Amino acid sequence: MNWFYIKGILILSGINLLAVLGLSLLTGFTGLFSFGHAGFMAIGAYTTAVMTIHFHLPFMVALGVGGLAAALASLIIGKLTLNLKGDYFCIATLGLGEAIRLILDNVQYFGGARGWPGIPLHTSLLNVFIIDVVGIVFLAFLIRSRHGRNMIAIREEELASQIIGIDVFKYKMKSLMISALYAGVAGGLYGHYLGFLQPKMFQIIKSTELTIIVIFGGLGSISGSALGAVILTALPEALRSFDKWRLVVYGAAVIFIMISRPQGLMGGYEITPTNIKCFLFRFVKKDKKHQGMGGR
Amino acid sequence: MNILEFKNVTKTFGGLTAVGNVSFEVEKDSIFGLIGPNGAGKTTIFNLITGIYKISQGEIYFKEDPIHDLQPHKIAQRGITRTFQNIRLFKKLTTYENILTACHDNATYGIVNALLRDHKFKGQEKKLHEKAQELMGILGLSSQKNIIASNLPYGMQRRLEIARALALNPSLLLLDEPAAGMNPDETIKLMELIKEIREHFGLSIVVIEHHMDLIMGVCDKIMVLNFGQKLADGTAQDIQTNPKVREAYLGEEEEHC
Amino acid sequence: MTAFMQQIINGLSIGSVYALMAVGYSLVYSIMNFSNFAHGGVIMMGAYIGFFLLTAFKLPFLIAFGLAGVGTGVLALVIERIAYSPLRKRNAPFLYFIISAMGASIFLENIVVATIGPTFKTYPRIFSPEPIAVGNLSIGRLDLIMCVISTISLAALIYVIEKTKVGTAIRATAYSVRASALMGVNTDQIIMIVFGLGGLLGGIAGVLFGMKYTVYPQIGFITMKSFIAAVFGGLGSLPGAVIGSILLGIIETLTSGYISSQYRDLIAFALLIFILIVRPIGLMGKTTEDKA
Repeated sequence: MNWFYIKGILILSGINLLAVLGLSLLTGFTGLFSFGHAGFMAIGAYTTAVMTIHFHLPFMVALGVGGLAAALASLIIGKLTLNLKGDYFCIATLGLGEAIRLILDNVQYFGGARGWPGIPLHTSLLNVFIIDVVGIVFLAFLIRSRHGRNMIAIREEELASQIIGIDVFKYKMKSLMISALYAGVAGGLYGHYLGFLQPKMFQIIKSTELTIIVIFGGLGSISGSALGAVILTALPEALRSFDKWRLVVYGAAVIFIMISRPQGLMGGYEITPTNIKCFLFRFVKKDKKHQGMGGR
Repeated sequence: MNILEFKNVTKTFGGLTAVGNVSFEVEKDSIFGLIGPNGAGKTTIFNLITGIYKISQGEIYFKEDPIHDLQPHKIAQRGITRTFQNIRLFKKLTTYENILTACHDNATYGIVNALLRDHKFKGQEKKLHEKAQELMGILGLSSQKNIIASNLPYGMQRRLEIARALALNPSLLLLDEPAAGMNPDETIKLMELIKEIREHFGLSIVVIEHHMDLIMGVCDKIMVLNFGQKLADGTAQDIQTNPKVREAYLGEEEEHC
Repeated sequence: MTAFMQQIINGLSIGSVYALMAVGYSLVYSIMNFSNFAHGGVIMMGAYIGFFLLTAFKLPFLIAFGLAGVGTGVLALVIERIAYSPLRKRNAPFLYFIISAMGASIFLENIVVATIGPTFKTYPRIFSPEPIAVGNLSIGRLDLIMCVISTISLAALIYVIEKTKVGTAIRATAYSVRASALMGVNTDQIIMIVFGLGGLLGGIAGVLFGMKYTVYPQIGFITMKSFIAAVFGGLGSLPGAVIGSILLGIIETLTSGYISSQYRDLIAFALLIFILIVRPIGLMGKTTEDKA
């Protein structure tokens, strides 16, 4: 295993991490399930590529535009579908994600289904790392504000949220847009890492993968999502030698996780300095009675 | 002055009339009791006030403004809030988080302020925490601060739901069977609490209850519903002596017994 | 006009196969309220089982059908036992079922890739490609067979559901799992029967689909369109699933015929989104108002 290979895995993990963070806000903290996030990634990826190639914008600005384009698309989609109940919202996002891909398949300007080669390789480990850190910090700040708390309230009990004056639709929309923004930027990074874009890269399976990671990490835990993204991206890559059995194991593992550890890796808890201290404290003073502070 | 007014309100579900042509007024700063047999339409009235159901006919006024076309969260922001018959807390959050979340309307900072952790954010957030702390104290929940809501004892859950409602600074509080499942001792404590809340926050309260002691003890005025229709209203004494009410609760009286 | 009628006939034929697949989605949804995305994998396995029975074992056509159906029925049952039953016992939220289903579908698709390979397989020719002429129209023999077998299978399903004791239990369970259990229905058994039935029809549909086109591991994705049909007709409603499927089949062939086959899938998904926005409960779905 050389450094180049490891670097590649780290970059891919970092890109997935960003998309997963976004989905984590929507699914883990707001309680909405999307199977269309690959579509937002696709919008971000193609928009960013247009910005760098045709408009010669600096990469960071182009990423911003890509993220905003995805957020804008989510605004339209949200207006149409956020009123749908549980399962139906899920199906609608699935349909929309696929529709975005199928439209891209037919836009010859972007190379259609054959793909779009020659995208400049701007994505590096450094800029992925920086964007991830900013993404994590912003998400943590958002969650620990009244906006984040309102989203969590909606996840817990929608009716009661309305009764305490939370505009449920508006907050779902905010959550969806921020979530799409993250996915869009992740898409932009992805295109400029591979140097090639093809609608096929953003199939349902990609959306599913993101949702699986969020659940694997534990709903409602940022650190869980981050850890999950790194583990679930790196592990299959490391198993490349198994090649064709890799996805068989993956499918079986998904079922296994669902039936055996549904609360996920972190079970809703976070890795924070205070929590680590409490955790260690418990070990050191095992004999003394010590009440650990609640996590979260 | 009337804080709440129902004018000929009707609510039908398909062919079923849940509330039929009901009119009543709730005076400001009063405690208003809503009683009636099961299925009489009491909770439906709460759902109509809070906008969860849309009325089929009639008008609802709050502080002399019509509210029957508003969405639930708008109605809440105007100052009406409630508790639920089957408690609806944010189950996986702690007592403190439940109250803190409900305080949200006391702050105005936006998402950008939150991301930048600026002055506005810090100042307002501090006030929210103070407010949550204060409410927890008033309702005697301070010792349960970090307990997950679903692990609280039943009575505490009911208290927490009231605390959460008060976080909005409401002017009208709707309590849906607050004493359900409580023993007589707890019910008396709750009665005291309801009175205290009214004094302390200057609220008007509408309460649905089956415990007649509680209703007769705290309510200034009472309305009796039966099969979605208003049967009677008046003071506790009026209601207790009203033959129609006795009939609804105890069945028709035999002529010679 | 003839060309138009021709498209309609083609649409009916493909629509009837969609219907066979869609009732599998709807049956499960009606009882368990989640979209069973593993059904696509089951249908794909049906196509493969049929293929091997016809080529490697050279079994007669109808026997291959039956065995493929039995095979997928059992497979659907096994999936229910392994992937859903533990979730059911825990009252897990519907998302867990969907994810588990996706896991099963990834597993099935890739186990075929790993063992049989990702290449396309073509069914042996069983029916002469010579179409039957009816007036100005020509009807492919295979299309006719597809219609006939689908209709018979669906009629059998409807008979079971409407006329038998098990069917009554299924309908009761669809109405309310808890109430049925309290009335003495073994709901666990009913759920297994429903999965078995769905799998059986899915297997038959898989074989028909394989005969019409080809067999490859990603067929499961195409079955997504039968899922769209189920949503279109109203998830959980069997007549809805059938009507939705026929309509979708016709819309698809008309799109291919008059616009471009490239837009066929896009139209299907656009239809899905349209119906969800305009009438999320579908053509024949039931409205429910939840109680506060």
